[in-house]
Amino acid sequence: MAQQEFIIERYNPDTDESYEESFNVDVQPGQTVLDSLNAIKWDQDGTLSFRMSCRHAICGSCAMKVNGQSMLSCQTQVDAAAERGDPIRVGPQGNQNVIKDLVVDVNKFLNQFERAETWLEPYEDQEPPEREYRQKVEEFDHWSHASTCIHCGACYSDCTVAAVDENFLGPAALAKAYRFVMDSRDSKREERLQFLSEEQGGIWDCTRCYMCVQACPKDVLPMDAIMELRTLAIEAGHVNNHGVRHHKGFMSGVRKRGRLDEMMLPVQSVGIGRLLTGNLAAHKEMMDYTPGAIRLLKSRKLLTIAQRHGANADGREQIERIFEEVEAEKHHHDVDAEAFGAEFETAIGGH
Amino acid sequence: MLQHDVLIVGSGLAGMRAALEVSSDPTLDVAILSKVHPLRSHSGAAQGGIAASLGNSAEDSWDLHMFDTVKGGDYLVDQDAAEVLTREGPENIFELEHMGCAFSRDDEGRVAQRRFGGHTAPRACYAADRTGHAVLTVLFEQLLRRGVKVYSEWYALDLVVKDNVCQGLVAYDILSGQIEAISAKAVMFGTGGYGRAFRVTTNAFASTGDGVVMAYRAGIPLEDMEFVQFHPTGLQGSGILLSEAARGEGAHIVNSDGFRFMEDYAPGRMELAPRDIVARAEQSEIEAGRGVTALRDSVFMDLRPIGEERIRYALPSVLHLARDFAGIDPLDAPVPIQPTAHYSMGGIPCDINGQVRIKDLDGAPEITGFFAAGEASCVSVHGANRLGTNSLLEAVVMGRRAGRGILDVVHDLEPTSIDEGDMANAVGEVDHFLTADGSQKVGEIRAELRDTMMDKCGVFRDDAELKECLSEVKDYQERFKHISIDDHGSTFNTDLLDAIELGHMLEYSEVITTGAIARQESRGGHARRDFPDRDDENWHRHTLAYRPQEGEDGPRLEYCAVNMEPRFREPFPLQERTY
Repeated sequence: MAQQEFIIERYNPDTDESYEESFNVDVQPGQTVLDSLNAIKWDQDGTLSFRMSCRHAICGSCAMKVNGQSMLSCQTQVDAAAERGDPIRVGPQGNQNVIKDLVVDVNKFLNQFERAETWLEPYEDQEPPEREYRQKVEEFDHWSHASTCIHCGACYSDCTVAAVDENFLGPAALAKAYRFVMDSRDSKREERLQFLSEEQGGIWDCTRCYMCVQACPKDVLPMDAIMELRTLAIEAGHVNNHGVRHHKGFMSGVRKRGRLDEMMLPVQSVGIGRLLTGNLAAHKEMMDYTPGAIRLLKSRKLLTIAQRHGANADGREQIERIFEEVEAEKHHHDVDAEAFGAEFETAIGGH
Repeated sequence: MLQHDVLIVGSGLAGMRAALEVSSDPTLDVAILSKVHPLRSHSGAAQGGIAASLGNSAEDSWDLHMFDTVKGGDYLVDQDAAEVLTREGPENIFELEHMGCAFSRDDEGRVAQRRFGGHTAPRACYAADRTGHAVLTVLFEQLLRRGVKVYSEWYALDLVVKDNVCQGLVAYDILSGQIEAISAKAVMFGTGGYGRAFRVTTNAFASTGDGVVMAYRAGIPLEDMEFVQFHPTGLQGSGILLSEAARGEGAHIVNSDGFRFMEDYAPGRMELAPRDIVARAEQSEIEAGRGVTALRDSVFMDLRPIGEERIRYALPSVLHLARDFAGIDPLDAPVPIQPTAHYSMGGIPCDINGQVRIKDLDGAPEITGFFAAGEASCVSVHGANRLGTNSLLEAVVMGRRAGRGILDVVHDLEPTSIDEGDMANAVGEVDHFLTADGSQKVGEIRAELRDTMMDKCGVFRDDAELKECLSEVKDYQERFKHISIDDHGSTFNTDLLDAIELGHMLEYSEVITTGAIARQESRGGHARRDFPDRDDENWHRHTLAYRPQEGEDGPRLEYCAVNMEPRFREPFPLQERTY
């Protein structure tokens, strides 16, 4: 029987003391990190606190950081976590306040679902069918990955946006919102797309770092869902918002000059039209960019007008070709809007 | 004192379905209390499906479903309850579907259905192999939509009953360590099963029979506790569930000779015989030396006959579980499995409206304002052995019925109250554990208890082993009086909760064993080597175990009749149960 060292980040709420503590545990082949935490709790130190319940990766209780990454401790083999015999570091999830040891306050994460109203809103103006709504296998298969979320919070814990933005809805709530946008039984598709486009912390705040997809112990693919929501929102005409303007400004800059145009981007994001019509809020948004712009200027990150020439003619031609090719390609997740509408009708009609 | 009209303890399928029903009356204040966040409830671990005779895949009917259920339960099933369960099944499924449940679909876009053990038609509606998760999620979403108050991570300590009227609950806020009284005109328990007392189990750490024991301590007898279902396909060692859906999709079970031994035990159904029969067959093969792996304590389940594409599509969780928890890829190799304690057929006796009552006493409720549903209850729709996919159905159908049962009476119930004296037991219990300074350890006693129950009150039982089992359980109870715990803090003290839960496990283990010793026959999940046959003349009846009074040495056993009076058809007469 081998021994494995665990270094656990602990927090004692009674003394408000944070510290690391090391434990040695006898490990058998097949033993998980959760088994090891239980061995510590039951045989060495009963004061160690953590959440757990099902121990087979479905209840979502035991997500924590193992060697710096969020994962379900029940699903993580000691052998896999212990590289080269190093100690295994175990700590609480990120982006949430620690209550005690490995227990965090999950309300901040779970409240995002309520904010995004991630539940089915049935059609008010009609009775549901006598039997089930019909949903094609292909339709179900398209979004069902997003329904496998076990709300463990691993994605939120490791989300780089949630780390800096309290308002961010986060990967899990957005993926769940996507699941209802895609579900033909839901009556609030339009309202959802509008909310997700315009809400502070909605779909446009994701930075596409991919940490959520990496952390997710299931098949949710939150970032893919967020990207598809963006496409759907634009298709649905929700374009008059900061996120879309930023997105388009970013693209037009690259297309025109072959590089990011930091000078114009804020103006385009806030909206030239809004600025020209004297929209006060828009001018305030511009003012908010000023400190950042000054910092960029000082560190020579913001190009002056004289430096904004960008790519040469050949380069621009190539860039244009890339854009054309991408535009010709259909997004792999793209849904044919017309076909969706037809299916929608059938589904609502039930049998 | 906190106050609600209706308080539901437990946030699995039964509890949430009941809460949803009660919340349809906007004049009522309903709350759910659970020791885990609702989304962590163990209903979410159910994998294979939820039964209902939708007839989407093949012709089916509720009375065929009812017959399968009655026979599957070895005729200990109350037929009024099985009738309700199966007749109301389809409308409950459609209701879940209308709420947005992510059911898998067939080629016509309807809810897909597949085969399951003991069911003669393909009637398991499923969401891949995470059906419980899909239903649990959708019920929680709808509760959020309704804005139902949830006491999340609150631990119920004590059920308060005065003069046969339920007053409410004393509960412990796990976050703050505060003990609070919560009064309610109606309380419902949907607190789940009691499988944690066995070493090899599919059950979550949380499945410690808390509600069952609280009811028992409040003077309510427990029904049919000796009937514990061992699921035939637990992962070797950990007992983690591999869904019966694997067999429904066509997996084979073989012994060390590579022989599909179900041929010898249930040739008509092979691997799709009911769970008690397959589990006993496995145990017999293992005991005859035909087990596999170095330990010879398991048999093989081979998924490869299903085919890779279908495994990936219909059984993704089974695939992942075998890989992550046993290090075996079912696409390449068979998986070692063994019987694992899975489902508690017994529980708090109640009628088909969820009202807790002692059967056979002319219908009058024993305790006003107390309801139960789901695995914690014993209606009894499962009798001596539950069929796969009937548990989710029971939780939903009976949860809804209990909700309606509450709606029917709650407006006529008087407000209740809980005073300091009523809280004394709960306060005393917590205080005792926080200050106890004995030398015994919770973890050690619990491990020994689980060994004892598994080895001496398991798949097969006999008088001598059961008596040893009982005596060992009593020893553990004695040692438990002399424990101490490490954590004396007030914030998220899981050490304290472990101690309280062990107290519950010790108490109900005695009830299971006592009932098992007395029942000198074999029926469903209760298999006696010394009494291998079913004995309808003496034992076609439910066990009721009362908590010992002063001077009594153990639970007092009484018995009541099995209901044979369905409303809409003739009862199914007792027959020999062969497959």
